[in-house]
Amino acid sequence: MLQTPESGGLPVPQAEGEKDGGHDGETRAPTASQERPKEELGAGREEGAVEPALTRKGARALAAKALARRRAFRRLNRTVAELVQFLLVKDKKKSPITRSEMVKYVIGDLKILFPDIIARAAEHLRYVFGFELKQFDRKHHTYILINKLKPLEEEEEEDLGGDGPRLGLLMMILGLIYMRGNSAREAQVWEMLRRLGVQPSKYHFLFGYPKRLIMEDFVQQRYLSYRRVPHTNPPEYEFSWGPRSNLEISKMKVLGFVAKLHKKEPQHWPVQYREALADEADRARAKARAEASMRARASARAGIHLW
Amino acid sequence: MQGSTRRMGVMTDVHRRFLQLLMTHGVLEEWDVKRLQRHCYKVHDRNATVDKLEDFINNINSVLESLYIEIKRGVTEDDGRPIYALVNLATTSISKMATDFAENELDLFRKALELIIDSETGFASSTNILNLVDQLKGKKMRKKEAEQVLQKYVQNKWLIEKEGEFTLHGRAILEMEQYIRETYPDAVKICNICHSLLIQGQSCETCGIRMHLPCVAKYFQSNAEPRCPHCNDYWPHEIPKVFDPEKERESGVLKSNKKALRSRQH
Repeated sequence: MLQTPESGGLPVPQAEGEKDGGHDGETRAPTASQERPKEELGAGREEGAVEPALTRKGARALAAKALARRRAFRRLNRTVAELVQFLLVKDKKKSPITRSEMVKYVIGDLKILFPDIIARAAEHLRYVFGFELKQFDRKHHTYILINKLKPLEEEEEEDLGGDGPRLGLLMMILGLIYMRGNSAREAQVWEMLRRLGVQPSKYHFLFGYPKRLIMEDFVQQRYLSYRRVPHTNPPEYEFSWGPRSNLEISKMKVLGFVAKLHKKEPQHWPVQYREALADEADRARAKARAEASMRARASARAGIHLW
Repeated sequence: MQGSTRRMGVMTDVHRRFLQLLMTHGVLEEWDVKRLQRHCYKVHDRNATVDKLEDFINNINSVLESLYIEIKRGVTEDDGRPIYALVNLATTSISKMATDFAENELDLFRKALELIIDSETGFASSTNILNLVDQLKGKKMRKKEAEQVLQKYVQNKWLIEKEGEFTLHGRAILEMEQYIRETYPDAVKICNICHSLLIQGQSCETCGIRMHLPCVAKYFQSNAEPRCPHCNDYWPHEIPKVFDPEKERESGVLKSNKKALRSRQH
């Protein structure tokens, strides 16, 4: 059953002791080792003496070996855990992960155990997170994660993905800004929200604290820009689309949202509609450029042409 | 997962979806967590009763244990709002960030972190952070670039910015408390009440002990004469209110009730 001599028996089922956090070198060894000796003896390396009539020296040696094996086992489990985390974080960036990256950043000198480590990591990813680790390219050892959970309906997607209701609130504000010619006074924004029953500083069951959400979260995350209007006394402030909104949300989408609210067609507002069309064209061009360069990079890495 | 004698929880698609969402968001407030939990049930197991959140999370955590991660609950330092994040139990520090950020960017974070920990208020000014740009490891970074990197940290919820000053986001504290305590054992401040890491808080002007704002709120709740728990001197700061989501809750539907309440107060 043992695959490699000194790195500890791999397929041996996890002992209770292993789960209690990774504190190396603690004196768990003596007590916990009582459960293990029979199995380890049975593995055929020791003399196979069933009766515990060992010398003091022999017992110490046995305990030391057991401790070493436990340490190696813990180290292996740790490495599997780190690989799982590594894969999850890497996958967020949507680029395939190579075997050499995994060895470089996580596996290190346990490289010889790569097949076992990756198999365990894959099992964790499947059981715990619902991802399948798929070998994307057999020749060059690149992997990706595929979501095995059932795909979401559009409505479910909105509820669960991108912050559901908060996105709705953001859309309302972006819509207001857009329809007013790309900027709106702060007072107008609060007025609109008040009409919807949203008070700035009162806790809201869908938005939390709206004032904080808008002034801090949305502004900090660059969805909205907040500027002082020059030559106003007392000072007034205005909102406009932040750079992140320009990147992530299209004008057409916001116009569509506003149109639906008013039960009209987007074309009802010709100025904004034209602006939105121009924005769509820009986005399509930028997307085509980005896809082309990503494909070029991927095939350069793989060395072959991908479909 | 072979049978182990310790009872481990069971993962279903409800739990998996929940975990995926928590990972996507990085950190979530409690009311949002509850909302998402309900939606996960709705999507994957419509007819089941929704588990109490605490049990739901404990169940998932028992499965996550062997991966050295857990869903951890904390509170924001400024007003005690409960938050949840998926954190690393092993002390491999800034590991979660390491794949998203370059070496010099990580070092910028480290520099900002040190300034924040050393500061009296828990905030480090943008100017002071940017002045350290020449000392960064890795590729040379200009101040303009550093400003963008700091914004990236804000967007990813590792830092909070208030009026040109930076402090740690609740998520960073949850994730990195252990790392911070081990790396800066002499500089870290600890709350006298909960004994956790303290970045922002109030301090006693006589004996210097510190407390988190939510800890102050809870400790001095309905106490007309707040006194320092350590030296008994009068506590000179304003006592914040205890966070209570139920108290301030309002939805559009309840507007009519609100009118009735107002009239009763007079």
